[in-house]
Amino acid sequence: MSKHHSSTGTLASDQVLNITDLSIQFGGLKAVEGLSFDVKEKEIFGLIGPNGAGKTTAFNCITQFYHPDRGQVLFRTRSGEVMDLVGHPVHQIIRLGLVRTFQNVEVIKELSLIDNVLIGAHTDFKSTILEQALRLPRARREEKEMRRKAEEALEFMGIAHLKDAPAGGQPYGVLKKVEMARTLMCRPKLIILDEPAAGLNDSETAELAQTIRRVRDTYHCTILLVEHDMRLVMNICDRICAISFGQFLACGTPEEIQNNKLVQEAYLGEEEGE
Amino acid sequence: MKKVTVNGQGPSGNLALRVYRNAYFRYILFGVIISLLPMLAQSGVMPSSFLVNIGSVLIYAVVAMGLNLLLGYSGLISLGTAGFMGLGAYISGYLTEAMELPFLVAVLVAIVVAALLGTLVGFVSLRVAGIYLAIATLCVSEILRKTFEELDQFTNGFSGFTAGYPILFGISLKREATFVLLTVVLVLVMMLTHNLVNGQMGRALHAMRGSEVAAQAMGINLLKYRLIVFAIATAYAALGGALYMHFVKFSYPSTWIMMFSLNILAVVVIGGLRSIYGTVIGALIVFAVPDLVLKRIPVIGKIDGIAYIFTGVLIILVIMFYPNGVVGLRQDLKRLMSKLFGKKKEGAHHV
Repeated sequence: MSKHHSSTGTLASDQVLNITDLSIQFGGLKAVEGLSFDVKEKEIFGLIGPNGAGKTTAFNCITQFYHPDRGQVLFRTRSGEVMDLVGHPVHQIIRLGLVRTFQNVEVIKELSLIDNVLIGAHTDFKSTILEQALRLPRARREEKEMRRKAEEALEFMGIAHLKDAPAGGQPYGVLKKVEMARTLMCRPKLIILDEPAAGLNDSETAELAQTIRRVRDTYHCTILLVEHDMRLVMNICDRICAISFGQFLACGTPEEIQNNKLVQEAYLGEEEGE
Repeated sequence: MKKVTVNGQGPSGNLALRVYRNAYFRYILFGVIISLLPMLAQSGVMPSSFLVNIGSVLIYAVVAMGLNLLLGYSGLISLGTAGFMGLGAYISGYLTEAMELPFLVAVLVAIVVAALLGTLVGFVSLRVAGIYLAIATLCVSEILRKTFEELDQFTNGFSGFTAGYPILFGISLKREATFVLLTVVLVLVMMLTHNLVNGQMGRALHAMRGSEVAAQAMGINLLKYRLIVFAIATAYAALGGALYMHFVKFSYPSTWIMMFSLNILAVVVIGGLRSIYGTVIGALIVFAVPDLVLKRIPVIGKIDGIAYIFTGVLIILVIMFYPNGVVGLRQDLKRLMSKLFGKKKEGAHHV
């Protein structure tokens, strides 16, 4: 926690995330250039764009996997403090209440589902390694408490009956739920979902839409969705930001985005050009 | 399944069964059974020379437990085991023999010094990975071995360093008592490892092995856990080395060569990655079977380096058929048993 930046910027009271002039460049390629948008509290917000638009790069800049060359990522943390995330070590981001999932579900095959979910509570453990090695009372109490929380999260996702099954060999849909349950362990303020609908069929996608809403309503958090599946995005997002070639196109409600000329061109541009 | 406690509030259930299911109880039971071996030796059922072999196996199991934490849980490789074990042996030997410090103090110093050195290697592991980490750790080990050769005022160089059986609280232990001490240490190490791998740290190591990116996103500080796991692994190796010094009672630089590190690696791979009992079984297979069994077989026993051939062939077989080590056999045996004895039930299901 040594590199905490002072809370420099300001955030409107209803905002949880505000990105200003975010830019990153790899070699000569400007992957994201001058991107700005904001996400409001309890919102389901979509970040869309054609392939190679820089969605994932933008997302990695927010979670500090990449450190952007320029710009600000203001975030209202779990404790209500406003902070510029830029420059924070990546493993400290989750402590602030910002958690993500992965496009190609990152679960540990050798661990049971509940142990996988418990990984999400990693930063909430207070007992030291020595206390854990000797199973001292605090470590035992904590483990028990977290295990109960993890069971609740699995219950919420409807897979509590599988809690002791190893993650290896579980169907993809179950693993996606495990990953979602894992994000719920850290008392999230903002959950970023990286293409949650990838690899799901229609009925699973419909269920996912329900789940995302339920997560937002039950856990009182905000959801930022980076997604390809237009039906999902148009169905559940309150607002959407569209980008193309690393640059901001438009931001608005699903209807506004669907009717936006620039967005239509970005997605269908090639056909019109012919 | 993992966490059945003795005083769990299950309304019914056989108490004896619940006690048996308790992991700690089973470690202790395992230790008690092993510590009965000296009696077998004394009563003449087992040749007493076996005691030295089995005792060494217990020591190697402690050392391999450390490598299993690295390789099995964290996915980090180390070929430096021999050097760290030798370091533990020489430090503990020198402190007890030349400086006449108590055994426990000597062992503790050996562990702390090695763990500090291990932490340094942990730093390196953040920069280099895979085969390069293997080479880096091998270099550390070779530097240590060369140091053992050259620093002959401490290590007695090529002639080897000799130490006596441990003296615990003023009591000089004999071979049998030392054997029991080894068992106690192994059981403690097994319990400690059990606690570590089944808690927050174990999950962090798993996550780190699975994907560094995902682990970091979950708030796991890679540097911290790499340093810790290297420190623990080298501490185990040094502990094993110190016990070796006072059980085998001599140490030559030529013991702590790469071949030894590879043997410890074989223990982990053959016994079972991420398995505590597997590590012990692996140590038994790699270090005891060649001496106790193979060398007694008429023609085969005469082949030079039969132990290496045996280990090599076994590694290939295990990787091909039981990638998670011979502990995987247990599942197969269970399945076979239920096939043989539970046929009726299964048949009913299929009909």
